[in-house]
Amino acid sequence: MREIIITELIQALQELVHGFEHYLPRLVVMLIIAFVGWVIAYLLKVLVRSILRLTNFSKLSESAGASQLLNKAALPSSTELLSRVVFWVAWVGFVLLGVSVLGIVGLQEYISRFFLFLPRLFVALVILFFGSLAASFFSRAALLAAVNANLPSSRLLSISIRIIISIFTLSMVFEVLGVAEQTMLIAFGTAFGAVMLSLAIAFGIGGKDLAREFLERKLASGKKEEKEDELSPL
Amino acid sequence: MPLKREQGWYKDAIIYQIHVRSFYDSNGDGIGDFNGLAQKLDYVQELGANAIWLMPFFPSPLRDDGYDIAGYKSVHPNYGTLEDFKTFLSSAHDRGIRVIIEMVANHTSDEHPWFRESRSSQDNPKRDWYVWSDTDTKYAGTRIIFVDTEKSNWAWDPISKSYYWHRFFSHQPDLNYDNPAVREEMWNVMKFWLDLGIDGFRLDAVPYLIEREGTSCENLPETHEVIRELRKKIDEQFPGAMLLAEANQWPADLRPYFGNGDEFHMAFHFPLMPRMFMGLRLEDRKPITEILQQTPEIPAACQWCLFLRNHDELTLEMVTDVERDYMYDIYAKDKTMRLNLGIRRRLAPLLDNDRRRIELMNGMLMSLPGTPIIYYGDEIGMGDNIYLGDRNGVRTPMQWSGGWNGGFSAADPESLYSPPILNPVYGCQAVNVLSQKRTAHSLLSWMKHIIGIRRSSSVFGSGSIEFLYPANHRVLAYVRQLAKETVLVVNNLSSAAQAVELDLRRYKGNILIEMFGRNIFPRIGDLPYLLTMGPYQFYWFRLRRI
Amino acid sequence: MSGLVGHIRGDSNPRWEVELAEETLLTDDFLRQLINVGEVDILIGLSTHNNAKTIEPVIRAVQSGILKCFPRDRAVIINADGGSQDGTPELVIGASIDDVRSLSKVYALRTLHSISTQYARSPDLGTALRTILAAADLLRAKACVVVSPDSTTIQPDQLQLLVRPVYNDNFDLVLPIYRRQKFEGVLMRNLLYPMTRAIYGYRVLEPYASEFAISGRLATDFLTSESWNNDWGRIGPEICLTIAAITGKYRVCQSYLGTKAQPHRSATDLVAAMRRTAGALFSSMDSSFPLWSTITGSQPVPILGSPTELALEPVRVNRKRLLEMFAAGVSQLEPVFESILSASTLSELQKIAKLEVGEFDYPADVWARTVFEFAASYHKSVISRDHIVQALVPLYRGRTLTFLLENRDRSEEDIEKSVESLCDEFERLKPYLLEGWADRK
Repeated sequence: MREIIITELIQALQELVHGFEHYLPRLVVMLIIAFVGWVIAYLLKVLVRSILRLTNFSKLSESAGASQLLNKAALPSSTELLSRVVFWVAWVGFVLLGVSVLGIVGLQEYISRFFLFLPRLFVALVILFFGSLAASFFSRAALLAAVNANLPSSRLLSISIRIIISIFTLSMVFEVLGVAEQTMLIAFGTAFGAVMLSLAIAFGIGGKDLAREFLERKLASGKKEEKEDELSPL
Repeated sequence: MPLKREQGWYKDAIIYQIHVRSFYDSNGDGIGDFNGLAQKLDYVQELGANAIWLMPFFPSPLRDDGYDIAGYKSVHPNYGTLEDFKTFLSSAHDRGIRVIIEMVANHTSDEHPWFRESRSSQDNPKRDWYVWSDTDTKYAGTRIIFVDTEKSNWAWDPISKSYYWHRFFSHQPDLNYDNPAVREEMWNVMKFWLDLGIDGFRLDAVPYLIEREGTSCENLPETHEVIRELRKKIDEQFPGAMLLAEANQWPADLRPYFGNGDEFHMAFHFPLMPRMFMGLRLEDRKPITEILQQTPEIPAACQWCLFLRNHDELTLEMVTDVERDYMYDIYAKDKTMRLNLGIRRRLAPLLDNDRRRIELMNGMLMSLPGTPIIYYGDEIGMGDNIYLGDRNGVRTPMQWSGGWNGGFSAADPESLYSPPILNPVYGCQAVNVLSQKRTAHSLLSWMKHIIGIRRSSSVFGSGSIEFLYPANHRVLAYVRQLAKETVLVVNNLSSAAQAVELDLRRYKGNILIEMFGRNIFPRIGDLPYLLTMGPYQFYWFRLRRI
Repeated sequence: MSGLVGHIRGDSNPRWEVELAEETLLTDDFLRQLINVGEVDILIGLSTHNNAKTIEPVIRAVQSGILKCFPRDRAVIINADGGSQDGTPELVIGASIDDVRSLSKVYALRTLHSISTQYARSPDLGTALRTILAAADLLRAKACVVVSPDSTTIQPDQLQLLVRPVYNDNFDLVLPIYRRQKFEGVLMRNLLYPMTRAIYGYRVLEPYASEFAISGRLATDFLTSESWNNDWGRIGPEICLTIAAITGKYRVCQSYLGTKAQPHRSATDLVAAMRRTAGALFSSMDSSFPLWSTITGSQPVPILGSPTELALEPVRVNRKRLLEMFAAGVSQLEPVFESILSASTLSELQKIAKLEVGEFDYPADVWARTVFEFAASYHKSVISRDHIVQALVPLYRGRTLTFLLENRDRSEEDIEKSVESLCDEFERLKPYLLEGWADRK
């Protein structure tokens, strides 16, 4: 009986060693890929950073208002952010490639799905970024225009525009990501429609005088009444 | 032998204005004469002129260069005899050159026998031959023409102790045309000369023949009646003889002098002339086109007389004050040059002796509708002497050569009727007929050439005119047409090169043939016709459809 | 002649035609018209957009001025039109004095062309001015005068007040000084004049001029300058020109003219005016920092003529509304101001916004600091630059209110003194601007 145990043990040990022998090279390959990937990702990051610096990307993003946005979110500058994103995407890609070499069944499928998902993730992030920029820019533009035109509730208008653009952006992001697409579409449509309807009612009934005045000003091109209290500044 | 008088001969005429006194002295007394003039007729013929207009040569005390007439039916002894005149006339006609003489009808000299009689007493039969008054207040408001010398149109006669009317110098009393005897006698005078064979009269100072209270005493209907009378007699007895009016008036006021073809055959277009000079300096055709736009149509048999300069000052009567000031400032900076609301300078000095401008002005003279008159000496670019009194500065001796007295006379230089021009620019050494005849590129040669081209076609004398108004205001362009012949004239009034686009669509399909060199230019198509022109350049194009 | 090529190809793409026009500034048709005009002594430029109501009297006044004061000189009226739909260009062309339009009853010694070109399909002041200057350059005009198409109060004599200094006295730029009702021109007196004076060291009373005269030399130089490539050169060419003249080696002077014709304005025009003036001014400071950073104090600019005594009707002003707009602006735009102003300035403004009309006061030093902080923020582009300019408008209204209250009973002379002391404040605080300029947040 003792001999059978020893034989089984030796057999099990042999299978373990065999299994180890079988996977070790792959592990090594995975590590090598990960390491090489890190190097390449780092080089890419440096390259992207240099290109962005050369093309004065930071100035561009500053004038677009992106810098301020990032500042508020306590994120690094746009150049740095972009190069870091490139680094991480590249390295994660390499790491996953390395993992796929291990040949773990089931994981392959998830890994390939992840890679398929990456472009959409990227697009979603871009949409989110620009959407935020747009929301910030247009809400501020609306605020300034409303204040200078002495419209009441200029803040409300500005916030409304920010919300609308943000909701629109988020809907697009979710649609791109394919997360609860239908739900988001319906929800957005409903919300948007409701907002528009309420604005129409409010504007139509409550603001019909304002609307008339606005239209008169636009259409009656000849008649511009001088406001008594408007001095000529120049 | 008299030249056969044809109707309308004056339309194709090139008239050469001569003062006998200034042209050529044959007898060495220092004054030009008819024999001398006769000797120089070949020159006039070679130049291309086919008519001569003679300035007054009648007996006269010469206080107004012969316009103060002391006898109407003879020749001043300075210039020869009546026989000399007849010889000259015959020689001219032999060469196909017609002769127009001056008829100073409005006034005489105060030394004329008629006036001597008229002033002698209030009862003299010829008393009413002149315009007398006990006061000098009649016809008040009538303008004074010789503003620099006369203060009034009335002069006091100490002999008859009354005032007599004179529109010009005080020694030139006006004849009274309300008196039939005066009209009769003036007709006799004209008939005398017409019988001799002359071809026409330039009637001096016609607007002033008749006076009426409360008017400007110019251009009155009665004046026209006098002229019609004269014209009727001429047409009946001397058909083909020509009457040329000297009336310094606005175009609208000139028109009546043509009547319905029953008054003058020709009239000087006075208002055009200063505007040609103005347009040239302004580098803008506006003054020229505007005056021609205001020029009314005249009867078909009638003709305008065009000139650049003449024996008188360049008159600035028929321009606005702004224009007059401009002309004075540009053309007569030296006040010595100014006289009687005019400028007493010759053509070449006015144009700074610029050959191109002289050519351009002559080009316009030869191509605008009318009969051109060339003032003697301007064809060689003679200068003037503004320090001689009155208008004598533009009446200096003709410069025939660079020798003794410029070839004008063999007399002592001091005895000449007028000192010749001596300065190095315009003097006889620099400007004379002999040297200009020797070169093909002289002004004289050029003048002969352009006159030849002008005479080669009746379109210039008898054709219609249509102005093109290119957007470039520095270019004066017009089309002359007669029957099937069409000539396009384009003048660059600017001192700089110009590009001009002409709307010639009406003449589409025609080839342009430049008349001086006879080279062909591109055919007229649908697009505006682009021409580029050098400073002061002009083109005459004959249009041909082949 | 790329425009001509466009025609030959038969390309009817209107956008391409307009692009070509902008590219070359002069369309073939306009060039042809310029050839026909030829060299001129005086060029009058009119930039228009739907000005049919006022353009004819303006042109008649200009023509009278030329015929009266410069009858012998060669002149031309050039209209740069930004796509008028009301027949403005046709009215301009119809006013030509020449031998073609024998209907013109006006007597003139020479032709006085009046030509028009459409430089774009919509108004663009910079391109309009450039077109006029290009024409002045090509026609070798000795003097170029730009007149506003709204100047219905222009007198024929006024033209020579602008032209003679250039024509006879060799000045390069003549800026107008208008006779105004005492409360008009607040932006000019409270911002543009003090700012230009403090920054560039020249006392130009009206640096923004819609009417001025310029020598051929300056016109040619300005035409070829780099400033047209900048935004500010396009948005605010008038200020651009003034600054180029005072900072270059040009002789500048100012001339008293009559009253300024004020077209009907609406509130939106104040934002546009702010862009054209303050925006252009801030933008100019960017590129010329090495020049103005070393300037201290200011020197006078020659003034010609004498002011006319005119009785002007007082303008009624709704002060309460001004205060409301100022206060609303300060509160509603707080998030924007946080990016632009310093904390201390913002808190001062918030205190001022709480004051009643009777005790309202927006002191000169606070205003100067406000403007300087705006300028510095503009330079750093803390937010969109156009938004920075727009944000200044409500604060300007507050300053307007103070100006009205302070000067309500003062004479014109006293008002001028108070403006001068405001300028002194700007000059005194210039180091503050320089500090803010260099700091980076």
